[in-house]
Amino acid sequence: MNDAMTQNMLVFAGVLFSAGFVGFLTRRSLILMFLSLEMMLAGVSINLIAFSRHYGNFQGQVLAIMVLTIAACEAAIALALVVSLYRKKATLDVRAWDELSETLVPKEVEAPMSMSTVELVFPSLTPSGLDPLQDPVLSEFSANVSVSSPSNEPKTTVKKAEVTHNA
Amino acid sequence: MTDLLPILSTASLWNTRLFAQTNVEALASRVEGTWSWAMVIPIVLGAIGYLLIQEGVVRNKLWIGLGLIAFATSVVFAVGFLPPTLDAYIVFLFCTVATGGGVGFLTAREPVYAALGFATAVLSTCGILFMHSAMFIAAATMIVYAGATIIIFLFVLMFAQQTELRVYDIKLTNPCLACLIGTVMMIAISYCVTHEGSFPLRKIDSSRLMSEALLPDELQSEDAKVEFDRQKSTSSKDGLGIVPQTTAGLGRALYTDYLIAVELAGTVLLVATIGAIALATKPTAEVGS
Repeated sequence: MNDAMTQNMLVFAGVLFSAGFVGFLTRRSLILMFLSLEMMLAGVSINLIAFSRHYGNFQGQVLAIMVLTIAACEAAIALALVVSLYRKKATLDVRAWDELSETLVPKEVEAPMSMSTVELVFPSLTPSGLDPLQDPVLSEFSANVSVSSPSNEPKTTVKKAEVTHNA
Repeated sequence: MTDLLPILSTASLWNTRLFAQTNVEALASRVEGTWSWAMVIPIVLGAIGYLLIQEGVVRNKLWIGLGLIAFATSVVFAVGFLPPTLDAYIVFLFCTVATGGGVGFLTAREPVYAALGFATAVLSTCGILFMHSAMFIAAATMIVYAGATIIIFLFVLMFAQQTELRVYDIKLTNPCLACLIGTVMMIAISYCVTHEGSFPLRKIDSSRLMSEALLPDELQSEDAKVEFDRQKSTSSKDGLGIVPQTTAGLGRALYTDYLIAVELAGTVLLVATIGAIALATKPTAEVGS
């Protein structure tokens, strides 16, 4: 373990910190955002331990223990918060709590999408009967429209519906 | 786009030594971890390959196998250029696994796999801490993070128990912008850390020494040497379990120099426990209503 190793550890800690940072910015699930935070804290602890080794004393290790304590507290409180938030609205989405932000920011409309890895397979029926739009319609299947006037039908149904509604 | 950054970091870890020094003279002093822009090429190639496989564009197994062979070759080259000590090998292995866990965490769509990637990253981090002779902190981190992670894991399983993915697991907030910011931050950190004179050279603080074995021989006092040998011999002879010198020293430092900090940490833990209980309990009906 020498200077170059300390340097490498610092670079690695930066990488871990950046990964956690990107995860925190991009993820929308509350729990995964919280895990990203923990990953950033792990990067910071590596820094502290590397410098403790670098100088050969215990200051870095003591600081790392403090970071660990804060991480434990944060885990407890964050989980409690997530539980109480989940109790209000049954979702882990951060955007469900958008109303806490500024109201001037236009809200992003999000199309509902479901992306499942399983392709939907619908059962197919064998075709039967006649296609009413088929070009040469057979004469015996032609509909007789003149029997009942089209204006009467809906009125009666509406009245029936009203009667049933009143009853 | 989200997948690019972790690949960048993984490959840069592997290839830091690969292109930096190639001549024999430099091999003697290859402890310098210098950045070379030639490293960008395999990093970008690996990122593109990973992206293609993730998106399902490449389905031909021959291509995937060829890519894996190329990647393994680059890993072998990187291993060949690493410093020849076993410690360094182990530390770099842990670094690689941890970064891989980070990659898995970032790119996994299902929350359960993300939690698994996080656990991998944190456990490998514990290994790195262990290799830096912080045994107690490694063990404590393992306990805290493993316990916390298992609990979070249970939460994830409980909340996210569904066959198909939710919208918020797939549609991320500004992945391109976040990736750009993260890359810039990573490059900035790497530059600040690796340029000349970024941090003071190694100077052993001999007033509060972590371990006598760290000192060079001419600086070790005779008493300390004798004490160190006596500790080693007695602890191994008794067979009662060897307390590493660093752990004993850490305990001594915690309860002498940093006593107030320890007390404050205990208080913070107590407050956090009370707060968590107060927050997590179901709100009961008000007395007046």
